[in-house]
Amino acid sequence: MCGTSLTFHHDLRMFWGYAPLVGVAQMSKHPATVGQSRHRTSDGKAAPVSQRRPPVALSPRLILLLIVGVVLLYGVIYPNLHVVLQSLQRDGNWSLQNYREILAQRIVLKAIISSVAISVLTVMFCAGIGIPLAFLFERFTFPARRLFATLAALPLVLPPLVGTVAFIFLCGESGILARVAQSIFHLERAPWSLRGWPALLLFHAYTMYPFFYVLTGAGLSRIDAALAEAGRSLGARRARVLTRIVLPQLTPSLVAAALLTFMTSMASFSAPLLFGGGVRMLTLEIYTARQRGDLTLALTETVILAVISLSALVFFQRYEGTRRFAAAAMKGAAKTRRTIATGSARVVAMAFGVLFSLLLVLPVLTLVVVSFAREGSWTTQTLPPSYTLANYARIFSDSAAREVFLNSLSMSALAAVAALLWSFCVAALIVRKRRRTWHRLLSWLILVPWALPGTVVAVSLAEAYGKPSSLAGSFILVGTFWILPVVYFLRFMPLVVRSVQASMEQVDEALDQAGRSLGARWWQRFFRITLPLVWPGAVAGTLLAFVIALGEYVASVLVFVPSNRPISIAIASELRDFNLGAAAAYGVVLMAIIAVSMMVAGRLERLRS
Amino acid sequence: MPLLSLKNISKRFDSTPAVADISLDVERGEFFGLLGPSGCGKTTTLRMIAGLEKPDAGTIEFDGRDITDLPAERRGFGMVFQNYALFPHLNVSENVAFGLRARHRPAAEIKERVKGALELVQLPGYEKRRVDELSGGQQQRVAIARAIAIEPALLLFDEPLSNLDVTLREETRGELRELVGRLGLTAVYVTHDQEEAFALCDRISVMVGGGLLQTGAPRELYEHPAKLAVARFLGRNNLIQVMRLSSSNEGTGEFKTLQGGHTLRVLIQKGELAPLNKPCTLAIRPEHVVLRHAADSLENTIPAEVREINFAGATSTVKLDAGGLLLEALVLQPNAFAVGTRCAAVLPAERISLLKE
Amino acid sequence: MRAAKLLLTIACFSALLFSCNRSGSSTNKLLIYTPHGQDMLRDFVAQYKTQHPQVTVEFLDMGSREILERVRAERNRPQADLWWGAAHTTFQTAAEENLLAPYRPTWNANVPESSRDANDNWYGTYQTPEVIVYNSDAVKAEEAPKDWDDVLDPKWRDKVLIRNPNPSDSMRAIFGAMIWRFYKDAGTPDKGYEWLRRLDANVHEYTADGTLLMQKLVRREGLITLWNLPDVWIYKEQKGFPIAYNFPASGTPVITDGIAIVRGAQHEAEAKRFYEFVTTSEALVLAAKKYYRVPVRTDIDRSQLPAWMNEKVNAMPLDWNVLRKQSGEWLRYWDTEIRDHNKQ
Repeated sequence: MCGTSLTFHHDLRMFWGYAPLVGVAQMSKHPATVGQSRHRTSDGKAAPVSQRRPPVALSPRLILLLIVGVVLLYGVIYPNLHVVLQSLQRDGNWSLQNYREILAQRIVLKAIISSVAISVLTVMFCAGIGIPLAFLFERFTFPARRLFATLAALPLVLPPLVGTVAFIFLCGESGILARVAQSIFHLERAPWSLRGWPALLLFHAYTMYPFFYVLTGAGLSRIDAALAEAGRSLGARRARVLTRIVLPQLTPSLVAAALLTFMTSMASFSAPLLFGGGVRMLTLEIYTARQRGDLTLALTETVILAVISLSALVFFQRYEGTRRFAAAAMKGAAKTRRTIATGSARVVAMAFGVLFSLLLVLPVLTLVVVSFAREGSWTTQTLPPSYTLANYARIFSDSAAREVFLNSLSMSALAAVAALLWSFCVAALIVRKRRRTWHRLLSWLILVPWALPGTVVAVSLAEAYGKPSSLAGSFILVGTFWILPVVYFLRFMPLVVRSVQASMEQVDEALDQAGRSLGARWWQRFFRITLPLVWPGAVAGTLLAFVIALGEYVASVLVFVPSNRPISIAIASELRDFNLGAAAAYGVVLMAIIAVSMMVAGRLERLRS
Repeated sequence: MPLLSLKNISKRFDSTPAVADISLDVERGEFFGLLGPSGCGKTTTLRMIAGLEKPDAGTIEFDGRDITDLPAERRGFGMVFQNYALFPHLNVSENVAFGLRARHRPAAEIKERVKGALELVQLPGYEKRRVDELSGGQQQRVAIARAIAIEPALLLFDEPLSNLDVTLREETRGELRELVGRLGLTAVYVTHDQEEAFALCDRISVMVGGGLLQTGAPRELYEHPAKLAVARFLGRNNLIQVMRLSSSNEGTGEFKTLQGGHTLRVLIQKGELAPLNKPCTLAIRPEHVVLRHAADSLENTIPAEVREINFAGATSTVKLDAGGLLLEALVLQPNAFAVGTRCAAVLPAERISLLKE
Repeated sequence: MRAAKLLLTIACFSALLFSCNRSGSSTNKLLIYTPHGQDMLRDFVAQYKTQHPQVTVEFLDMGSREILERVRAERNRPQADLWWGAAHTTFQTAAEENLLAPYRPTWNANVPESSRDANDNWYGTYQTPEVIVYNSDAVKAEEAPKDWDDVLDPKWRDKVLIRNPNPSDSMRAIFGAMIWRFYKDAGTPDKGYEWLRRLDANVHEYTADGTLLMQKLVRREGLITLWNLPDVWIYKEQKGFPIAYNFPASGTPVITDGIAIVRGAQHEAEAKRFYEFVTTSEALVLAAKKYYRVPVRTDIDRSQLPAWMNEKVNAMPLDWNVLRKQSGEWLRYWDTEIRDHNKQ
């Protein structure tokens, strides 16, 4: 039995990994062969065995390879190469001087260390919150589960720029919570200050745990609860079932989440800026260097940041590789989601879920409060003493504001859908082929834009496509509407790729083969088997990218044009004009829009599955 | 002309050979079995027939045409997978209709044929059920219905019954044979279960270690295994090490057992003459060993002592020691013998096979 | 295959439609980069359009540092025509990087030598004096610091809020001025660093931006801060924040806010016209009254300006070029050796 599944798995690797490559080589070397077999097509006749065709689905694979290659070349390699090259230059000469100087600085080393430490801790905290929560909502049923499950993803919709402000008004030393604590315990001063490591970790955990929550949830929904039950019936204790049966199957999802969290945390900028206190992070150093006008230093530090993020990718991939489970192990088509809870455990779990969800709502509520507060009146009180609708009146009476929302929605949707389509191209190429070096390189390149700070992505694109060049020809992107959708696509497609990839890894390959044996062509199999099965994961990833793109600021500000002014610019503009309330109001409307689109997406997901 | 014919097919995975230079023919309307232990390459062979795997060398012909390079989806063969591979997001009728939809058949025809296929596998009225609500046996039937709905030119089975319990397996086996026969389909059936293969197949190929050892009707394989590996694999066998003594009589040969030194006469076909004074192996089924109380002067009679009697329902196994030569015999009435008593074992010449290494 | 082709066609077609829709270009276009805020910009653009209805004026509102980054990134294919608003130090940097085109406005004689570029690359429009700000609810006027050194008084320990100086022109000017006070005589910044170190001892928090600074000030996370006068008036008058200010007795740095034409601008003539339009005395008075911008031009009828703009400002004499060149190093030192050292 064991031997059979071994060969079976073997076969699959053969089928997926080798055949296409051999095919590509043949095709490019012997075009005549292809022509010949085409020629034979015409005289093939009827019967069940209908026609003769060139070897197995070669051309679609070649097209995929072309698409992926071109996008990576133009979107990632070409614009980013000069960043690396510039960091290796000093006064027009090639040298490692920049790196030597930087790494000799105690402060930069400190920044590197604390960046990595904070990111590792962030991953741990986020996993600690996100995974149990996903289990809770995926495996237990209780009243209003759907509502609370949606609430748990709420930090995702907290818009940037004002999100941090809301956090400060809630948790800061003059925030609502501190004031409440002060009045309860009759304290002279605020009981805490929102600064340094704890503040950073709190904010990171709050904003990034959804990566774990969403991806684990999507992964869990595809795992057969019966497998866990089987483990239990074999006498394994709960903990053992979890670590030996459930978690290994979740590995692709967990690795994807850990990677995204780590990289987001490495690139986290506003949190260390706002409540970092004395904590130095690499992003902050880059920002400071840029502000001081030391562009070479900033560039070099950027490359270091990217290298760290990408080495994390290598690390995670290695881990992923050792824990991959054979598809053959997933026998049986039944993959039901069942509830596995009884008695007191269920009550505790429920209470925890409800309480936690409510806690998560607080920053959002704070933002709503700020948006209604009368400016200048809220000084030492716990809650604002007077309220006004003026901020909303300002937005809704403004035609430019409406345009801003339309711009952001259309551009983010464009970018997200493009990322979705592209992700399938990538996933079709690299899923289940981890062992090949060029696949590793591919997933590496794809994650580069995510590993780089947004500013760098925007600047490198602006410089690469700001003038006619040998590679881009007379194609100029800068100054057009399309620059922002392109930037959004590049920055956030790694999110979609990772989640689509993770979903695809969990689909039993026998299903695709069953489709083949039933006579379905590759596109029929894709649309009718693969797509419906990876749909929940793909939707989750796309939605994530869409929502984050809606609030993107750091890259937008460098390349936006009047015709595509996004929401984040409007918010920043209000903040610069000291209209905190109006900025918050923008944030609230943005959240409402996101909530609606999430509901639509939820409907979409249910429609398909 | 055979319907399906594999010619010198080879396949390697990385550096391990999975299938080595095998050739076989499947006749039209035949229920053909590929039997072998785990890892013998039988599934790989089936997948090459299906088109899910491309052979490194050799050709596959179907109905006289070379289909080696034809992609799976264009072969029109129905396949039933070991884990059924039902589409979890589709209900029963959508699963069965999948192949028909892929062929863009009109809706009315699809409905008709889905209904027909489900009736054939005795699941009428299950159209709207989710596949994960079904029992293992029912899922299995859906998988079969899905494969036959496309009216396959060839039906391929990859250990389809291995996930079912014993009684269900035997029941389904019968139905399957009957169904394939009724539809007049040609089937290739992969299994590691000898009993299953014998019950289902018209002809069987025994595969071991990536090679094809022997092809023939079940009875022929059973009674006259050509090779030691086949004899070992196909059920219990008394394997007797012998030395050729003479070839005096036409069509028979005399052998002396290495243990016990008994003389046995064996029928030998032309061209199978074993070399003199060289050890070789004879095989005889336990049920063909006849036990008697007294040593008659019949041909191939060996005196022996009863060592052990294992009761197993209808029959019992009696283990014998004939002067160092250990034999097993199947008897219906074990009461006639007692452990420790002496008896005589008759090995009928026509039941003994001379094995090739 | 048919389905895939159809999808591709639809995608291409919609992309084409989208781009056509978006690129309604006209020759009479003007693109302005500005940090002055939407309200002010819209006001001026609307007025400009009544005089020049054939022109499409568009603006991008960003911080002045972001404008510099952007103009830098776009140097090969400039998008902007006019850059309206940034500290003169920022403009000077841009001028040195050859990002600006010289233009001599009609009113060039009415600008002090210190508020314009010698090569006409930029001209000053508004003035921004820095002041000591305090929460007027929590601090009595007579107790509030009157000069820079008063802020170092131990009684303000943990009560001073400072905006992170790196991205802020105002704070860079203040920090620079504090070091300059000693640097101009000693030639080294050491005593200036010492001053900043003593300030650091009193600082409760370095806030990330001006909005948060003001919020934290009125919410009494700290009681004292250093900030620029126009912003203080916006908060005081427009938002009703309980804050007050003192001019530092020994003098204060005054930043000049400028305007410049971007080198390689596609609509340079139009940019010049708008340049002149927003720097007429009427426009400057309007900006002063409505948007709290203190005009640079010396030929303005000062009686039309709000009273506070006519208060005597004791400008601290500074060598801005030295400041600009040195402040990078000074800030780096502050950032690594001084900042938050009282917390450890």
